[in-house]
Amino acid sequence: MLEFKNVSKEFGPVKALSNINFKVNKGEIVGLVGENGAGKSTLMKIIFGAYQADSGTILVDEQETRFSSPRDAMSQGIGMVFQEQSLIGNLSVMENLFLGREQEFRKFGLIDFDKMADASRAQLAKVGLDIDPRVETSSLSFSQRQLIELAKVLSLEERISGDLVILLDEPTSVLSEEEVGLLFELVHKLRERAAFIFVSHRLDEVIRLSDRIYVLKDGEVVDEVDADKAEASKIQASMVGRGINTEYYRQDERLPFDKNSPMLCMDQAGLDRKFHDISFTLHAGEVLCLVGTEGAGREAIVRTLFGMHRLKTGTITYFDDAEVKITSPHAAVAHDIGYMPRERKVEGIFASMNVAENMTSSQLGSYSQFGLLNKSDEFRLAADWIKRLSIKTPSARTDCIRLSGGNQQKVVLAKWRSTGSRIIMLDHPTRGLDVGAKEDVYAMIREMSAAGIALIVIPDTFEEAIGLGHNIAVIKDGRMVRTFDCLEQQVTPFDLVSAMT
Amino acid sequence: MKDIFKSNYHWVTLFTLVILVGLVDSNFWNIESLLILIGDIVPLFIMALGLTFAIYIGGIDLSAQSMANMITVIASLYLATLGLWIVPVCFLVGVILGGLSGFITTRFLVPSFISTLAIGGVCYSLAQWLSGNRALYMNSESRDALFGWMLSSTGIVPNTIFVGGFVFAVALVIERRSRLGRQLKAVGSAELAASASGLLVPRVKVLAFALSGGLAALAGVIFSIKLSGGAPSIANGFLLPAIVAVLVGGTPLTGGVGGVVNTLVGTMIVAVIRSSMLYLEVAATHQQMVFGVVLIIAIVFTIDRTKLTIVK
Repeated sequence: MLEFKNVSKEFGPVKALSNINFKVNKGEIVGLVGENGAGKSTLMKIIFGAYQADSGTILVDEQETRFSSPRDAMSQGIGMVFQEQSLIGNLSVMENLFLGREQEFRKFGLIDFDKMADASRAQLAKVGLDIDPRVETSSLSFSQRQLIELAKVLSLEERISGDLVILLDEPTSVLSEEEVGLLFELVHKLRERAAFIFVSHRLDEVIRLSDRIYVLKDGEVVDEVDADKAEASKIQASMVGRGINTEYYRQDERLPFDKNSPMLCMDQAGLDRKFHDISFTLHAGEVLCLVGTEGAGREAIVRTLFGMHRLKTGTITYFDDAEVKITSPHAAVAHDIGYMPRERKVEGIFASMNVAENMTSSQLGSYSQFGLLNKSDEFRLAADWIKRLSIKTPSARTDCIRLSGGNQQKVVLAKWRSTGSRIIMLDHPTRGLDVGAKEDVYAMIREMSAAGIALIVIPDTFEEAIGLGHNIAVIKDGRMVRTFDCLEQQVTPFDLVSAMT
Repeated sequence: MKDIFKSNYHWVTLFTLVILVGLVDSNFWNIESLLILIGDIVPLFIMALGLTFAIYIGGIDLSAQSMANMITVIASLYLATLGLWIVPVCFLVGVILGGLSGFITTRFLVPSFISTLAIGGVCYSLAQWLSGNRALYMNSESRDALFGWMLSSTGIVPNTIFVGGFVFAVALVIERRSRLGRQLKAVGSAELAASASGLLVPRVKVLAFALSGGLAALAGVIFSIKLSGGAPSIANGFLLPAIVAVLVGGTPLTGGVGGVVNTLVGTMIVAVIRSSMLYLEVAATHQQMVFGVVLIIAIVFTIDRTKLTIVK
């Protein structure tokens, strides 16, 4: 009933999806899996109309069509149950269910709330939820709100002529085991009314619930399997694709590090609901890669190390010195710790400041005397680092926002390198960069490692983790579930995916 | 080309206005009267310079006018006792109260338009209490002895222009040359990046509001010297044109770009609008309406809508 033929989508030079062929039959539950960045969310956004495909055709009931907006997709029977819930907390359940459709309940220009409540009960019954539709939505539990979201989507069926396709985006990520069971039961029951597309990181659940599974990698459908014949290990293998190739990863360029100089030690560290019981030691020149799904707690760990969050349990020891306590980014910078945040344009660079100003932003004390800046020193430093990292910029006075993403990233790195940082944490340093710029970033990471800087990297892909890391730690649901010593053993993406999912 | 035009909007506006007004009003080109016009706007200019710092970091200071009001009262009351010290004392009062607004904003996460509005209310009440809600007159002996020079001219140049020029120069050094100025720019440009670079963002913000308060106080001192007195509502009518000066000058409400040079140009624009209103005989009661309209037009033309998703 819904079919994609050769659908492609590009963002500038980046091919997000290429020639996707995808089909959902009536009453079917289709699973969609792939690692971070494989194109799942782009595909979903095209399905529910938030993005438009660049090429290819979309068919609904064998009629060619297009979805110009989520509203348009809805009118053709495509509904989305959002991972981050789209309900408005301070409205009642029924107001949420019929948001934007209040005119159906109009009586003398006012809303007939009794009628709305009755209509709501009918919708809630579909998902087996027995609650008063007049209660405020924020007073309900997460799983109840999820069901309301589902009921809201199901209410489409009375308004449109065709059948429904409902997207479930990571619906189980915050549910308990029991709630997951109930949700699956409900979805099975509802398949008479609608087809489902189930997107999840949890492979076992996808196999359990779906009839058919599509595997996405690098924006392509690389595999399509029937769930009754599906094996987790085979799907994981096709999720990561390539076999082992030392040359590809350039592991030979990785240098040994000094195991006798601990720079950073986390011991049973925890922060409520973000991560628990994390222990590791990072040495000078070592690269530690943290691998895991989105929201597994990796970002919280590095931000805690940088003083942005306060640790709840356990300890962190910096530079093997119990005296060093870091409770703010200011203190972290003062102790030569650097951090390259993931959101480059928001937290990484100062858009309206020039290259030189960006580089010295963390070390103004060294470039000022009696409160006044020494600009010639600043520009000398900028010229030096522009040369050392071959940053492509018209001049040191160019506003940072005018540089390409890769060069912006180099400016952020120059900021930390030039302050003499001894520990640097990089969150998705290659995100959104083209291949050449990525190579530059890898070279810089290797160079920093050779210079004895201790590095924690949250990589964009498994290949990055394997190519750069001396050690790889897999974080799942806030816990360090496995560590790999890459100097001892050859790690494969498959190993990482198996530990993650 | 479009970029050059856009980043120089304020200059274009100023020259267009000058030419237009010059064409209509042939007396406009009289250098002496032009200089007097500029000299008259100095208190407003200094207040606008202060506001620039608050807006530069993405905040706003609505207490500036009440601050200036209160300072006219304090200056009138204590000039005879304090002598020249009245200037640093008033400046300090402004810095402390401005800093308090900043502290409330950063510590309790109260938006600056609320914290400064509240502090403005405090200033207004203090002014009423100190003055007994009357207009006060300065001790004219002290005023003439200490600040008489400010009211005269050097050649044809009113001396207030030198005062304004001096404050402008200091503000420019703070913005362009000082460590604080760079930190202000960083906070205005990307607050989260500033924090991730280890800057003490709350301290920087407090200092921005302290500067704003201090300069508003300075504006109050100069205003009271000019009028030889003070009253709790004597500077009413300053706030709107001062904000117009900053925004028309090209420092957007989102902060990070613009600065005191922009405010200089913006203040000139305000001065030209004022003089043209005099020429066109716009009643004093209608002038604020004109500035209100100009403010909205300026924002409509200069705002970067691509960054806006929600307006509240």
